[in-house]
Amino acid sequence: MPSLIKEFALIAALTLTGAAYSLVSGLSPLPWAEPELAAGEIRLTDAQVLDVIWLDARTIEEFEEGHIPDALFFDEGDWDLGLITLMNAWLMDPRPIVIYCGSESCGTSKRIAERLRATLPDAEIYSLKGGWDAWQK
Amino acid sequence: MAEINAKAYFILIVRLVLSAAFLLAALPKIQDPVAFAVSVEGFRVIGGDFALWVALVLPWLELVIGFGLLIPQIRRGSGVIIALLLIAFIGLHFSAWARGLDISCGCYGASESEEAPNYLWLFFRNVGLLLFSVCVLVRDWWNPRLRAMTEGESTS
Repeated sequence: MPSLIKEFALIAALTLTGAAYSLVSGLSPLPWAEPELAAGEIRLTDAQVLDVIWLDARTIEEFEEGHIPDALFFDEGDWDLGLITLMNAWLMDPRPIVIYCGSESCGTSKRIAERLRATLPDAEIYSLKGGWDAWQK
Repeated sequence: MAEINAKAYFILIVRLVLSAAFLLAALPKIQDPVAFAVSVEGFRVIGGDFALWVALVLPWLELVIGFGLLIPQIRRGSGVIIALLLIAFIGLHFSAWARGLDISCGCYGASESEEAPNYLWLFFRNVGLLLFSVCVLVRDWWNPRLRAMTEGESTS
């Protein structure tokens, strides 16, 4: 057992040395840095300046619990229905389309945005950085 | 003798697979801790500064124990930590699944962030790795040469 404790201590020392190297070396941006805006993403402040069509890509339960005013529900699993609803809104008044899901780490909005860009090449389509969490802040 | 060799080869392969799994998981996260911090916070279990420290330290721990599985001096300790981490990951994924969270695993960096979470696959993958780690751990725990090496060092 003492040898196991010694092993844990050695592992902890090596781990902390590595983490300290990350802290001081500038090897990569630290976790405290603001996540960069990926291609096809838009920040909430920028989206709010534009007059956009909001697409809510969360579950129906979450949508019913609360959503961005005038947002359209878009179920990725029922693509055709979501697309018809979106097309009705977009053809009546073509505007940028912003899709959001639950949080920064969800990928649904990015996936839907990518598919929509292929379907609607003339539309300006973004996914909202930070998702619903960003709106609630 | 042939049976002993077959067992030894099996354990070696299992050890290499486990080691590679942790090394491949660690490197992209060390390169991009910001994306990993987003994944950690996405599980909504820990948050704030603690999540950011976890995002900084956990990838280094994965790197050390990934290599550690191949280094006799820290082999058993690495095996124990790998098993405990895998149990924690299984619990986390189950919890995220039960809460219906739409999040990326973040297990192998930001490259999988756009994929829909496949919790069943994550569960089976982690259970498989956990079984591997138990095999390696049992082997190392009862390895008299390894015990003599580490205990001899600790008493000398």
